[in-house]
Formats: sequence, structure tokens, C-alpha cells
Amino acid sequence: MKDLKHLIYFENLLQEANNDLVKQAKAEGKRAIGYTCYFMPEVLLDLPGCFSARLRAPRCTSPDIATYYLSGRVCHYARSLMERALEGGYNFLDAQMATETCTATCRFQEHLQQKHLDSVEDMRIIDNDDFFCEFTDIPFKNNENSYQHFETQLRAHVLEPLHEHFGIDISDDAIRQAVEEHNEVCRLINEIGDYRKLDNPTITGYEFHVIQLVSLVCPKYLILPYLRETAEEMKTREPDTRKNFRCKVVLAGSENDDPDFTKLIEGCGALVVCDRFCYGAVESRVPIVLEEGKSPLRCIAEHYLKTSNCPRFMPQDEMRARKKRLADLAKEYNADGVIIASNKFCEYWSYERVIDTFILQRDFGLPVCSIEKEYINSASGQLRTRFQAFVESVEIKHIQEGK
Amino acid sequence: MKYFGGCDVGSTYTKAVILDENGNMVADTTIKSKINSEQSAIAAMDDVLAKVGLKSSKDLEYLIGTGYGRNKVPFADENISEISCHAMGVHVTNPNVKAIIDIGGQDVKGISIDTDGTVKNFAMNDKCAAGTGRFFEAMARSFELSLPEFSKLSLTAKNVIPITAQCTVFAESEVITLVGEGKPMDEIAAGIEMAVAKRCFVMAKKAGATDSITLTGGCAKNDGLKEAIEHVLKLKVVNLKTDPQLMGALGAAEYARQKGLAKK
Repeated sequence: MKDLKHLIYFENLLQEANNDLVKQAKAEGKRAIGYTCYFMPEVLLDLPGCFSARLRAPRCTSPDIATYYLSGRVCHYARSLMERALEGGYNFLDAQMATETCTATCRFQEHLQQKHLDSVEDMRIIDNDDFFCEFTDIPFKNNENSYQHFETQLRAHVLEPLHEHFGIDISDDAIRQAVEEHNEVCRLINEIGDYRKLDNPTITGYEFHVIQLVSLVCPKYLILPYLRETAEEMKTREPDTRKNFRCKVVLAGSENDDPDFTKLIEGCGALVVCDRFCYGAVESRVPIVLEEGKSPLRCIAEHYLKTSNCPRFMPQDEMRARKKRLADLAKEYNADGVIIASNKFCEYWSYERVIDTFILQRDFGLPVCSIEKEYINSASGQLRTRFQAFVESVEIKHIQEGK
Repeated sequence: MKYFGGCDVGSTYTKAVILDENGNMVADTTIKSKINSEQSAIAAMDDVLAKVGLKSSKDLEYLIGTGYGRNKVPFADENISEISCHAMGVHVTNPNVKAIIDIGGQDVKGISIDTDGTVKNFAMNDKCAAGTGRFFEAMARSFELSLPEFSKLSLTAKNVIPITAQCTVFAESEVITLVGEGKPMDEIAAGIEMAVAKRCFVMAKKAGATDSITLTGGCAKNDGLKEAIEHVLKLKVVNLKTDPQLMGALGAAEYARQKGLAKK
């Protein structure tokens, strides 16, 4: 396939959290608001005057200093974020909107809230006088009480602090404006992502992963022109005449912001056609519907609780629905199997991965490859062997089934 | 006569096998792997080709690379994962075997085999090399024994001293402490074999192995480990009539034979 015009630019934007577009927005006087979890509605951090930046720690190697502050049994992602913060990689942040979701990232953000390491004034974690960190409680259930509680939390811990600290306009009109911009990003990402459903897709999982990530880590108003152009480019993009994949897979699991992991899978012959993981597009790019008779904030609170497939929701019916959802995605995207990859020590996915691996094979007949990984993968040789063996077994099944 | 080759470039040893068109193994070799996978493959292939009077890998009808350096085998028509190749190698050696515990230089795999020699299911350790050939090398070094001597040491033990650490570095420290305390060497060795056997048990069960299991890879030659695995799995491990270390290369050669013949 012909190279996407902006792919190299997008890849470069993913090399640092403080990338060129973040710097541009800061230079224009916008406030940078960091977050880590899907449950922090990015749309509220994209109100006029500020922009959201979902935190990553690209090229983090060994988070040794962070391990001292967090412990070796905290997931590698949270430790890598902490290490990057200690390296000064997040000094551009004006605020961190933390969520009471997984304990590991909570602990990282608690350190940000303390502002100083070991109570020493000179050991500032985020070297920015304006910086503050606020926590929002996220409900564990999907019901009226939860929606009400979440709305209250978002007002008290997101909107009001943004207004008090930075004078951000938090009116309903401002929220509607942010939703409109957010929904355009969703529409474009979905339009680009739908090409993965083709028999011979005109976009690789790696390319899509990169595009989805830039939409999470860059100011929306600055990345939108590039997304529009890419969506336009996709309309005429021709696939390779010869299919260069051996099977198609859904990639599911915990936090994953490493496009090289997707590339590694695809290098073994499995085209990633759907991304059902934290930082993926399946949930985060569902457009927000503003209903008549409800405040925009209430609609947003409901949206994020209703669209999530996070394993922190434990009711039996929701757990079962998540398995079915994965199987449905495999069908919708014409996938031959599912790769489930969770970060080591992931609080929620460690359990979900094991159960999914069993249920998807037994109840839905889907081949599953189950992987426990680290934030940055150094064991690529062993992973390559496992993915290649998985692809070979899927191929054999196809032959046996006469496909 | 047409010949078909399989070359298994492992992290510690490189193995090569040549089959004739009837599936008979006409030559094989096992050499110590070099730091460069391509050099290892060239050396092993030169050795095995000479045994059948062929000059180059190009003279083979079909050649398949496998093992951790599988994509570095010169003139290979394709590469196949060692998981698939071990399954096929064992299947052509003994079709009654339904599961494999493959303990190589840097990983442990549990593999269950389908009736046609393809992989039914598999499980593999993550990047940690605990309980692999590297682990045994480090343990033998602590005992100042060769690997064959170490593998037989545990067979004389009357008791098993449990080893808590599986990490090569920590286990080495633990073993040195136990030796320093004057604990019997054979009982410490039995503890080491048991620790690895338990890890193998997990891999075998994860892969869905229930009966008729064999061992492949270099560690299959470790008699003490074999006995410990039989103890934890509560069944007799099947002995293969062909060197178990060759199973990856043999499977690759068999795949090469099938694909090479189908090509015509």
C-alpha cells in the first residue's frame, strides 16, 4: 500500500508526551490537562482554553526510581509514568485529572498530588508552579445513583477546579462546543477504522493504532486537520494486490499504547483489525449523544459509564456481556481469533484475561492467544514465537474447516 | 532421490535434519549455537549436507527454518515456529504421543498435539528464563559439575530439599547457602529438579495435556528432571526412539517434505 501522507509525522508525535502540537497549544496559551484513564471524560478536558493529553511514557526502559516509590509489584505502566514524571517529561502539564479507578495509576497520581518527593521542597515532581492534581471518584455500577454521583464528581473535581485555577468556561454552551469537536474526532477515527472491516483491509492495525493514539495525546483542534486529511486519503487508498497477512485478529486487553506491539503481532502474520483495549478506539471513539432534557454534563457522565467495557465492573451480567461483546467484535471485523494481552500486575485484566481466554474458546469457538506483557516489550523473540505459533494454528484450523 | 531439510536454530544448540522423500531421516547434526544465528545455521547445514553428499542448501527440494533464529536460515523457503515443528517432529516419531513438554535453552513450552501432528494448544513461559536450560547450566556451575553429572545427581537422593527461588540469580544464591550449610548435594539437586518439574506441570496443564506426554529439547536428556516430572504429573513420560533434542529440526524437515512434495 502507498504510505499514508502523515504517518511519519504521527509517529514523531508519539515519541514524547510533550510533542510539537502540545508545545504549539501551550504557546497559544492553552492549559495542558493530563489524565490516564478512559473514565476521565477527555471531552471535559478539551473545553475552550485547555486540552487533554492522555499520558504515555514512550521509550521508557527500566523504571528503577519509580519502583522505589511505587514497589515492584505495581504494573509497569504506572511505574513508567512515574519514572517519566521524575525525568521531567510531564513538566508541561498544568493539571492532572486523576481517577479512582485502578490502584496502580492511583498511586502514581497520588505522588503527583503530593507535588514533592520525600517532602523535600526542591524535589518537585512536576516543575510547574500552576500544577495541581485532582481526584474524581468513578462509580462501580451502571445505575441512576451512579450517573448522579458521577455527574456531581465531575462538576466538583473537574469543571470547578478548571474554572477556579485557570478561568476555563464551564458553561453548558462550552461543553456542547467541546462535544461537537470530540464527536468529529470520533467520526473521523471510526471512518478510518472501518476500512479494517474490508476483506483485504486498506489500513494496517499498526497504522490505525498510531492514528488513534495521536488523537488521544494531541490537542484536538490541532490534530483534527491531519485526521480529516487522512480520512480523505483513505477513500482512494488501494490495498496491496496480494494479501500480506495470514489471519485477522481482535487485540483486546489492558492498557496498551505501544504501536510497536501491534507491529510485532502483524509481523507474525496476524492483521490487527480491532482494538478492544485501554487506549483503543472501540469505546473511546463512540460519539457522545446530548439528549434533550438532560444537561450536557449528565449526558457525558452517563455516556462514559454506559460505553465502558472495563473489567472493573464486576456484576455477573456485565461480565458475561463483555465476553459476548468481544465475540461480536470478532464477527463484525471478520476476525479469525483474539489476542488478549494484559500488563503484568494489572489489577483488573489479570483476572479478566484468564476468564476471557477460557470462555471465548469454550462458548464462542474463538481461537485465543493469551499474553502477559510489560509496558515496553523487550522479550520480542518469545512473543514472536507465540504469535507465529498462534497464526499457524489458526491457519491449520481454517484448512481443517475447509475455508 | 529428493531431500528435504529442517534447521532449528536454538539459543544454545543448533540442530539440522535431512529427510528423504519417504520421510526417512538420512542425516542429522547438533552443534553449539554461535552468537550469530546465521553463522550457526550455516555451520549446522554444512555439516548435515556433507553427510548426504550435497554441496549446498540450494540442493534441497525444500528447507524450513525454525527455533529462535528461524528467520536467519540462509536459503530457507520459509520459517515455522518451533512450537508447530516440535509437535510435528514428535508426531512422526511416535503418533501415540499427545503432549509435549519442551524445555529449551531459554524457554519452557507445553504443547498438546492433534491427530495430524498440528498444534492443538500451547503454553509458553514469558521472558524470564527460570526453569530452562540456562537455569540448569547455572545450577550445574554452582555444583562444579558437568550437565550430565548434574542430571544424574538427584537420582540418588533420599529426600528433596525444596528450592524456593526459580530466578536463576536467586536460586544460585540459595543453592550456595544450602551447600554452605552442609546439606547433601544430591538432595539439593533433587529440589532443583522438582522446582523445574512443577513449572513444567503448569505449562503442560495450561496446554491441556492429560496423558501420553514426552519431553523434547536439550533438557529432555536430564534423567533427574524426567523423574521429577513423572512424579508431579503422576504418569510415565514416553521415551522417544529419536534424540528428543532433534524434534524441532525433524518437525521442520517433515513440514518441508510435505510442502516440497505438494509443490510439484
